[in-house]
Amino acid sequence: MRAVVKNGIAIFSPQGFLDGDSTSAFLSIEDINATEQLKVDMVLVSLKKVVFFNRNGLDVFVKLFSKVRQANHATVGFCDYDSKKYTAIIKFYKDDLNFSLFITAKAAHLFSSSFKNESKNVLLYSNDKSQRSAMAIELHDNGHNPVIAQSEEEFIEKSKNEQAYDIILTNTFLGQMGQKIATRVTGNAIIYSIAAFLDADIGNKFNIAYHNNSLNVGFRLFIFDAYKVISMNIHALNFFSRLASSAAEYNATICFVGMTFEKTPKNFQDIMEDSGIMFFDHMDDILQNKELLKELGASSAAVGKFKRQIKKETVVELPRFINAAVATIEMMTNSKAIKEAATIDEISITNKTDKIASSIGFYGDLDGMVILVFPTKIAKKTCELLIGEKTDNNELVLDSLAELVNIIGGKLKSLLADDNLSVDITLPRTYSSVDNLLEITTGRRGVQVDLAFNNDKFLFFLTR
Amino acid sequence: MITKDKIQDYIQKIPPAPKALRKTLSLLNDGELIKAAKVAESDLALKSYLKNLVNKPIFGFRSEVTDISQIFGILGVSGSQQAVYNYMTNLLSPNKWLLFNLNRTTFHSLQAELSKKWEQILLYLEISDKDVHSAITLLPASIILSEALFNKKIEDVRLLRSAKDIDFNTILIRLCKMSLFDICIEISKKWEMPDIIAQIIKASSGIEPSEDKEINRLAKWMHLLLFYQLSQPTFVEAGLNDFVDFQIDFVSDIYEDFSKLMNIGT
Repeated sequence: MRAVVKNGIAIFSPQGFLDGDSTSAFLSIEDINATEQLKVDMVLVSLKKVVFFNRNGLDVFVKLFSKVRQANHATVGFCDYDSKKYTAIIKFYKDDLNFSLFITAKAAHLFSSSFKNESKNVLLYSNDKSQRSAMAIELHDNGHNPVIAQSEEEFIEKSKNEQAYDIILTNTFLGQMGQKIATRVTGNAIIYSIAAFLDADIGNKFNIAYHNNSLNVGFRLFIFDAYKVISMNIHALNFFSRLASSAAEYNATICFVGMTFEKTPKNFQDIMEDSGIMFFDHMDDILQNKELLKELGASSAAVGKFKRQIKKETVVELPRFINAAVATIEMMTNSKAIKEAATIDEISITNKTDKIASSIGFYGDLDGMVILVFPTKIAKKTCELLIGEKTDNNELVLDSLAELVNIIGGKLKSLLADDNLSVDITLPRTYSSVDNLLEITTGRRGVQVDLAFNNDKFLFFLTR
Repeated sequence: MITKDKIQDYIQKIPPAPKALRKTLSLLNDGELIKAAKVAESDLALKSYLKNLVNKPIFGFRSEVTDISQIFGILGVSGSQQAVYNYMTNLLSPNKWLLFNLNRTTFHSLQAELSKKWEQILLYLEISDKDVHSAITLLPASIILSEALFNKKIEDVRLLRSAKDIDFNTILIRLCKMSLFDICIEISKKWEMPDIIAQIIKASSGIEPSEDKEINRLAKWMHLLLFYQLSQPTFVEAGLNDFVDFQIDFVSDIYEDFSKLMNIGT
């Protein structure tokens, strides 16, 4: 079986009975390899739908954990269990519990870099004192407000007041936590987490291809979460200066948050500021300040300096691109699409009201960007399958729209792989209005295909 | 991906039960084992299916049993009826499985093991109604249905599932407002199976519990049995483990009894 990956967290959800025999059937060698390749910062196994397990049943997953941790330092562990299952796991692995246990997947999110700074009020209790403090520190580092109960009585007393807390955390255990440069998207800003000592190795750890393509797709604000950085040396300084000058070509901004210069030469800050990097004390100074966000380009991307032209190779693949997009949307909406017109020019959208858009970039043997403009109505319909209900919550719609575009990107990737073309895809970006989209597409020529789904107009645009 | 029309189309194409089968069933219903065996002899496919079934290891016979009247004798009235229903379900099964990694043999053993364990459960629950005994036969039909409806869409399903953990049943419900189990019920109607079978099957999805307490109790046992069976390595490898959503709360009160009955260690 394969894990479902969302927001940098991969979750396996086996069902039924886990013993030595069945678990090895759950995880083939290919599955293990595929999991190692994932660029995630957490790999979890949900025990929600497991009725029964024994140690042999869990061992297969525990082996997977150690492999994954070796490969990419992700946080690994089980989640979604009741206290009976928790006691059993603790009993099975009492001396070599080197993975984490999270009472729910939601609790695991608190410890993941993808859900930082949401300022959740967390009541926590563990009968192990060092665990209590470890959790509190991690939570605090991640921008939450932990409240520690010192005794079980205190915990029971405090948890009676359920409304005071967003999450009540018990039966949770932190094994070794992962460390890597994680990427996540807040609003339309990309946040990278960096920690400890920064040296020449940053060049290897940092996914530069991903960063460049995010620039190309229109992300304009990159925040380095540097709360946990102890110091940096001259090689890292050079790396960031170069990154900043390449960002400047796209009119993008790079910010450092929470960086202290206790053990780093103070003049490094001046050099970095000279190359255009901005420094902030707290993440909220940026994320909560809407005006600053707008200025820095997180909500409206500035026009890129380079007007790249679409290449012939990409155009040759066009029918496949359209088919992939259309097939996916047909599958999600259960309606038929009709192709109306195709032109090569700048994007033109006649009726701008009630439309939302989404884009995803791809890079590798081919590079480019697919933009989809939907009437809000279709977007809602496609989201019904993913969410399971009708919704008017715009954020939820945009969020599932991003998932939809991600599925299209995945489909593209597999279609191109059939032609021996290997591409990677960026994170999807969403636009809540057509105007937002136009800010980044103005001046870019590409192929536009108008489509209609049961008379609802829909637009596909391929550019570079 | 899959539309209501497509489902209707599929239901239309289900052939009615062959004459010999219906005759066999009605004779079994009257308890006429010998007469039923005679009619069953005339259907060669049924005959070979029954032979195959009874000689599966789970029945534990030392030497091969070949004679139909002997087979009906071994299985008893309810067992024979169950076997014939199993055969009918089997008629729907594809020649080549694409979506799930199954074949004729593994599918047969799924049927045989479900039937045998169901019998064990009913014995424990002290239920002897032969229609209740037969209810288990329609459950594997839901697997055949998934295979038939989704096998051409496997890439789409995989992509969808890479973004969200949605099972086949939920996909169908969200797309067509119809569950796999609803379609099973259509099949049972077409084959004139007793109504109670359809009711138990519907409740066994764990999503739409029945108002009838007794049916609900049976449905719980069936739901848990299904997941116990689908956690066996062969069926996990076949990709069946997550084809419908397991409702753990639905079965929580019978789990202890179930694990005792099935000898599941802790």
